[in-house]
Formats: sequence, structure tokens, C-alpha cells
Amino acid sequence: MSQVFGEIRRAPARIIVSVFALALAIGAIGVFAIPTVAASSLRDAAHRDQLAQVVMSTTDTGDVDIPALLTPIENVELAEIQVLTHVAVGNGDTPELSPPIQVVGVEIGQQQIDIVHADKGRLPERADEVLVSDGVADIGATIAAVGHGDTTTELTVVGVGGTSAWSGEDVLFTTLDTAAGMAGLEGANRVVVVVTHETNQADLSATAEATADLFSDEGIALTLLPEIVPNGEHPIETDIEEVSTLIGLLGIVAGIVAIVLLGSTTNTLITERTREAAVMRMLGARRRKLRRRLRRLAVGIAVAAAVIGVPLGILISNVIARMVLQEFVGITPGLAVSLPVVVGSVAFAVVGARLVASRAARRVTNVPLASALRDRDGSPFGRRFGERLAAGIPIGSLLNRTSIRNVVHRRSRSLAIVGQVTIAVASLMIVTSFATTINDFNVSELEAWNWQSKTTVAGEGLDIDAELADTDPRSEAGIDVIGELGEWEIEVYGLPADTLMINRTLDQGVWIEQPNDAVVSRGFAERLDISVGDDIEVLLASGPAIYQVTGLHPDPLRSVFVGVETLSTELGASGRRNVIYSLDNETSVELAGLTAVVHYDAVSEDETARRAIMLIFGAIGFVVVAVTGLAIASGLAVNVYERRHEFAALEAIGGRRRDIYRVVSAELAPLAMLGIGLGLAFGYIGSWAIVDSFEAGDAVEINLAFATGAIPAVVAVVVLGSLAIAGLMVRRVTSQPVAEMLRTAA
Amino acid sequence: MEFTWPISPSGSAYRPLVQATDLTRRWGKGTASHLGVDNVELSIGQGELAAIVGPSGSGKSTLGSLIAGLDQPTAGSLVVAGTRIDQLSNDRLARWRGSNVGIVLQNFHLLPTLTAAENIELALKLSESRVSRRERRNRSGEALASVGLSDKAKRLPTQLSGGEQQRVAVARAMVTMPRLIVADEPTGSLDQESGHIVFDLLAGAVANGTTVLLITHDHELAGQADRVIRMLDGRIGDPSAGDIPGQQSSDVLGHRDEPNQSADELVSPGRHR
Repeated sequence: MSQVFGEIRRAPARIIVSVFALALAIGAIGVFAIPTVAASSLRDAAHRDQLAQVVMSTTDTGDVDIPALLTPIENVELAEIQVLTHVAVGNGDTPELSPPIQVVGVEIGQQQIDIVHADKGRLPERADEVLVSDGVADIGATIAAVGHGDTTTELTVVGVGGTSAWSGEDVLFTTLDTAAGMAGLEGANRVVVVVTHETNQADLSATAEATADLFSDEGIALTLLPEIVPNGEHPIETDIEEVSTLIGLLGIVAGIVAIVLLGSTTNTLITERTREAAVMRMLGARRRKLRRRLRRLAVGIAVAAAVIGVPLGILISNVIARMVLQEFVGITPGLAVSLPVVVGSVAFAVVGARLVASRAARRVTNVPLASALRDRDGSPFGRRFGERLAAGIPIGSLLNRTSIRNVVHRRSRSLAIVGQVTIAVASLMIVTSFATTINDFNVSELEAWNWQSKTTVAGEGLDIDAELADTDPRSEAGIDVIGELGEWEIEVYGLPADTLMINRTLDQGVWIEQPNDAVVSRGFAERLDISVGDDIEVLLASGPAIYQVTGLHPDPLRSVFVGVETLSTELGASGRRNVIYSLDNETSVELAGLTAVVHYDAVSEDETARRAIMLIFGAIGFVVVAVTGLAIASGLAVNVYERRHEFAALEAIGGRRRDIYRVVSAELAPLAMLGIGLGLAFGYIGSWAIVDSFEAGDAVEINLAFATGAIPAVVAVVVLGSLAIAGLMVRRVTSQPVAEMLRTAA
Repeated sequence: MEFTWPISPSGSAYRPLVQATDLTRRWGKGTASHLGVDNVELSIGQGELAAIVGPSGSGKSTLGSLIAGLDQPTAGSLVVAGTRIDQLSNDRLARWRGSNVGIVLQNFHLLPTLTAAENIELALKLSESRVSRRERRNRSGEALASVGLSDKAKRLPTQLSGGEQQRVAVARAMVTMPRLIVADEPTGSLDQESGHIVFDLLAGAVANGTTVLLITHDHELAGQADRVIRMLDGRIGDPSAGDIPGQQSSDVLGHRDEPNQSADELVSPGRHR
């Protein structure tokens, strides 16, 4: 370490920049820890709140004693009932009809599953008290909740909190009876189960199946497919995993920057000691001893960088994980550390520095002693064929010739700068392309639909009489449920054959005509190798249903469109619907006492999600660009520093600061241009790979929208940033008296 | 900044090219400060070959750097070739250097990525931006020829010997036809023969009317100058420092104690050129 401090005294700015650049690179590796940090935070929350492993949405359970009913199932340890409904809320005097809010009724205070806790205030104790999720209302406020049959219930907010089972959503938590009253239920409509020991997917599915059988015996039907949460995960862990995977991909970019930075910085630290090593060799020092000394120096600096970089990495990973969890889940996680990533970062820095230093030290100590004593860097220009060739081509102005020849001479440094610019541009392009792709995808997601508003009602069942919609020619009653096809969760839409709510123009085949006809999203069908004429088995909450594919729709998601009456029959509720589509902002259909939930602002909901994603990826992009910016600055600083004597000589014969700036920028320009070109190419390939992985992972058609519009801005940022860095470095070098620089060259 | 010379009181033909008044260069502050040049008064005439000698650390290179415009004094005034250079900004000073001074240093300081001819051309380009490329090439060729290196125009500095590199440096210093050449230990890294060649080149420049300031440890070389200026501890003049070969002891700064004597008189005449 004393050697490192000695180095800092010798060239403080340069060593400190190198240490911090390396530290930031090590810190950026912390991005790899984000998935682990996010998952462990989610699992901690799942464990704390005792989240259910099987969730069944049902029709009214009435007076059936559900826990007792499920006792015979071996794998069921605990079972509880809940009520889930939606209400319109207001301030008591003038209830608003929108936005609707979810109400979850639980046995507050006696829960053993999905435990609701108060972060502020207390849990509800009476039927007219409610606990709200953060941001819904303040403690002491009164909420007028309009529920089933337009009945209004006055609720006083006594606490703020919830359970991570509903994290990230606006929810009113109240007693079971209060919620049941609002939903018009006698019993409950949701059953949550914690199993005894077998938590894998297959065993949980078997448990859910056994539960559904017992429910069926009691006349209780499932309104949604059972929700299975295996292996102690959090229900939304798989959703977060996708974001984490993407973050991990950007982590790879940060890792590459770190490797380039580590290599170039360590290499420079050793190479600039060529003459010093030569003097020591002249005085009798053995090569092996010198190499050890040089390796120690590099490792010392890497360790110093790791001391700063590891806490920085922990900070970066936790800040981004917190952003992810807060934006998507509403959980504010505690500090989490991924030990493998920390150990990996330190090992990477130390082992990497040692490996690079070993190679550089071998090279430095193998330079013929006479050459090393004569030449500052032991490798003067003109030794290699390429350099002599470059010297023989008198193209451009004299200053430009020095620039080009320096690029040839300092090949490693030049390659490092190209690599760093490439990574900066690629990162920026990936982030911006991701933004435009999400934007386009959001638009295409709704492009096929013609409806302006979509009205559902409280509860998960088919609660709307199909004939209600007949009163409004601009409205249609339909069904929108979740199903499964080929192990993929899909959206199953029941629509009239002559529906106006969706564009019926298909990519292939014809729209649904017969009862068992189905139209499938084209991209999804292609991924599952489904063609027109094939039979498909769709798993619904009520069981499997067989359809024949008659057409492929341009919808980019995983959707299956079937006849609405066929679907309602399959679901065991003939003539019933669960959604009213309208060509207007609000349907004029009277819902006969049902609570309307209007979703006319789907686009703005998507916009919010898009902003959240962009915020997170913007933050990661910033980290990567900051690391590459610092890497470029570090590379340029070393480059300019090494050549300070050359620049002083240029000044001595009349060169001004702007001439030196011209030399440096002319040297940087071709490297930056090459880096920009490669960065754009890699940015495209990277964006395409990410989008493709999402398409493959989700079986949806996202379609890459490469952000060509951002190219001028990205190029401007990189070019101006590089020129500004070059300007700063030149200013620093030329602020020293020329005589002093020339003297130190002696 | 242009400076008007005062009329010489003696009315002689002596026209100073360098006029330093109370020239001081100090590094650092307080007790840790170090004086490189201490209140130096000096005048060097046009077309003169002056040598500064003195032991290591005496301030001769510092004084040379100040006169060449490679460094700025912390106090005093310095007029060189009609310009008060101690008041110039870095950029103006660089431009002034390009047009007025040729610099030859012990370590040559050729740009390593440029050939011998290109190094000379670059000096021309920086001093006279309006010179055409062809003319630059011609003048560079002539300069190389004048130092006997026409056949090595396309060689890189690493492909030249030390003596050859220094001859290129001299050619580079002379090609702009400066009014002053400052040569700091120009023969320090060279063998005797190469040293003589380089000195002869500098003496040739003086013959063409250029003022040359030679900073050297080599008393024999200094003895061939018109004037020898001895420095010690940042000041000019040290009678106890001994003789310079070829000079009478009394000639060397022997008038220091005389009242009302100008700094110019504190230097001794050399033998001749």
C-alpha cells in the first residue's frame, strides 16, 4: 500500500482518476447484483407476510367452512378466505364514480396468510374502519365506498400499510364482513392456501386441483385459473425477473467497460515505468524482482479501487433495485448485498490487474536495456513496420500527421478508446431504442381495438347479463378472461361474431363464424407452430376447451378470440358477460346495481409503466455512460500526460494551446468515429437481442424500433463529451510552464 | 506588446535585443520558496553570441528559459526583440516564440512521429502560417542541407544518431530566421566532433545577424563566445568562481563593485567569434 501512496504523491490527479475509474467500473459490476438483491428483498417480504402459495378466485363461497372443507387435502396446512371487490370512492358527500379501487376483506388480526400490517396508525378493529395502502388517503380521512347495489359505506382510515401480496396497488383493507357487504356476497370469493411442505409447481398444481374438486362438490366454481407461487417465491417475482434479466444484460456492458478500463489503466501504470525499471536493471536489479514490484503496484491500485468500488457497487445495485421494486411492486427494500457479486468484483479487479500487470511487466523488463534507458516508453515510434509505413504517408497537415501516427503508435490505447466509445454509444442506443420500442409496442398493443372505454364490474365472475348491452348500439358485452395455451398464460376474449370493437382484418384466414372457431395472435401462433385449421386446447378456469383456429390476427400479444356465447357456456355461465366495450368514453348501458370499473385510460396506464421502465433503464444507462465517460477521460488523461514533453516541444517552437488541442482532437476524431460506427452497430444488435429475448421469453411480437432519431443526439453527446474531455486535459497540460515540462523530460 | 527602446545615453551603435530588468523567477511561497533567478539585470546585443555559464543549479537554464519565453518571470521586466514578453499571455507568448526565437535543447525534443524534414516544416508552419506548403518544403530542404542532412530528410528521429538529431534541431531553430536562438546545453549529449559541428552551425547563425544565447557547462565552448555571463545562485556575477579558459580573471565580472555600473558591464567580453 505504501507503494500506492507513493504513486499518488508522484502523480496525484492521474492515479486518483485511475483509481476512481476502476472503482466505478467495479461498482458498475454491482448491476449484476440487482436481480439477487431484488429477489431476496421480495422473498423477505413474502416470508414476512406469509404469502399464500395457492390462490383461488371463486364464486361466492356462501356459508361453506372453507378451512374445514380443505382439511382432507394432505398438502394443505392453512387455508383462509378473503373477499376481493372493487368500489368507487369519494370523500363522503359526493362519491366519485371513478377511479375505482380494490377492496380486500380479510380476518384482520387473526390472519396467518397474506398478513396485513400497519406501517402507520393501526389495523382496523371495527366494521367501519379501513387500512389503506400508501398514498390512497391519510389517517383520519373518511372514504365513501360505493359498492354492490349502489350502497355506500362510510369508512374511516385508521392506518396505512398492507401486505406485499398487494404491493404496488391501491387497496382498501377492511374486515371480511365489510368487504363481503360491498361485494354483495354471503361468504367470500377468494381462497388462499399455505401448503405443508411440497412447494414445487407440480405439487401445488395438484393441491389446487384437489381444492377445485372439493369446491365443485360444494357448488363453488373457479372464476380465474388458480394462481400458483412455487418455491417460496413472491407472486410477482417472475415479472421482476424479466426486468432484472434486462438489467443483467446492461450489467454485461458495464462489465466489458470494466475489463477495458482495468486493462488499459493497469497497462499504462506499468508501461510508463519502462525507464525507471531500466535504471533499476542497470543498477543490478533482477527482472523477476522488478516484475514482482510492478505487479504489486498494479494490484495495490486495484485493491484501493476495490475498497471504494465495492461499497459503490452495493450502493448502485441497491438504489436501482429499490427503484425497480418501488416502481413495480411498491416495496421499499432494506439494504441487501450479493456476496457472490462482491467477491466476484474484488476477484475480478485483483486477478485481472495481476494478469494484465504480469504481461505488461514482462514486456517492460524484456525491452533491451539500452533502448529502455534511451527512450521514455521503451518503444519509440518507428520501430514497427506499421509505424514506418504510417510515417511514409505524408497525408494531411503536419499536426494531423502526428495525430494519425500516434494512433498507430499507441495501438492498445487507441483500441481502448474505440472500445469505450463503442460501449457508450451502444448503451445509449440500447436505452433509447428500448424506449421507442416500448412506446411503439404500447401503441400496437391497442392498435387493433376500436373501443374507447371498457367497463367491468366488481368481482371476478361473469356478473353482467348479456342482454343489458342491447340497449346501447355503441356498446357490446363481451368476456375477457385469463386462460392457458401450451403452458403460456393467454388472454381469452369472447366477442360477438360481428363485433365492432376490434379490427377483424386478419393476417391469415377468416374471423370466427362457428361456435368453436378461434382466432389467434399471429406471432404467438407462429411461436407455438399453430396454423389455420389446427385444433387448440385452451385451459379455462372451468377446465379445458377445444377450438379450431380459423384465422391469425395481427394483435402482438398472446390472445385468443372466440365466440362470446361459446366462451360463456364453457365457463358455465351461459348468457353472462364480464365486460362492456363501448365506442364512447362511457357506456350508457345500465349495469343494474353493479359497480362499474371503467378502463378508458389504458394508454395512460401504459405511459406510467413506460416512464417507470425508462427511469430505471435511464439510471442504468447513466451508470454505464458515466463509467465509459470516465474511462475515456482516464485514457485521454494518460495519453496527454505521457506526451506532455512532446506537447511542450511543440509549444517551444510556437505551438499554441489550440494547436495541441487540434492534435489531440484530430487523434480522437477517427477513434471516436470508429467507436460511434461500431457503437451504432452493436447498439442495434444489442437492442435486437434484448427485444428478441423478450419476444422469445413472452411469446409476444414486440418488434424492435431502433431509435434512429436519437442518433444525432447520441453522436453529439459522444463527440462533444470527448472534445470537452480532451479540452480539459490539454488545458491542464498546457497550464504548466513549457520550460518545466521540457526540463522534466531530461 | 511592442516596446520602444530608449535612446542609448552613450549614443553607441549597440542595440540590445534582450533587456532584462530586476528579473526574478521564484517557485513556491514562504520559507519553502526557491529562487531560480534573482533580480537579474542583463542586456544582450543584436548579433551577439553570448554564453551563460555557471555550476548546476546556478539559474542559467532558468534565465535562458525566461529569455526564450519558455517560462514567465515572477517579477521584473523582460524585453526581447522589441516585445515585453513578461506580460504576454501563454498563447501570445507561443506565437511570439514561433516568430522570434529558435530553441535548441540538450535532449533535442524533436517530435518523434514526424520525420526530420517534417519537424523543420512544422516550425515554419507554426511561425508563418501563410507560407505555402511547397515553400515550406523547399525551405525545410535548404535547412537540412545547411546542416548536412539532406539525405536523411525522411528519417524519423529514432533513426538518427544523437548528433544528427541535434543538427535537425538546429536546422529547425534556424529555419524561421529568428532574431534570437537560445541553445541550452546543445552539445551536452554529443561527442566532441558532433559538438563542434553544432557550435559551428550556431556561430554561422550569428554571422548572419542572429543573436545566440548559449547556455553551457563547457568552458571551452563558452570561451568562443563574444561574451561570457557567469551565474551563481540565481545572480549574475561571481568573481570568486575562477577563470573561464581563454579569459583573464579580471575580465570576468571584475567590475561588480564599481559604483553606477550597469548590468551589461557585469559581463566579460569573450575572445571573439
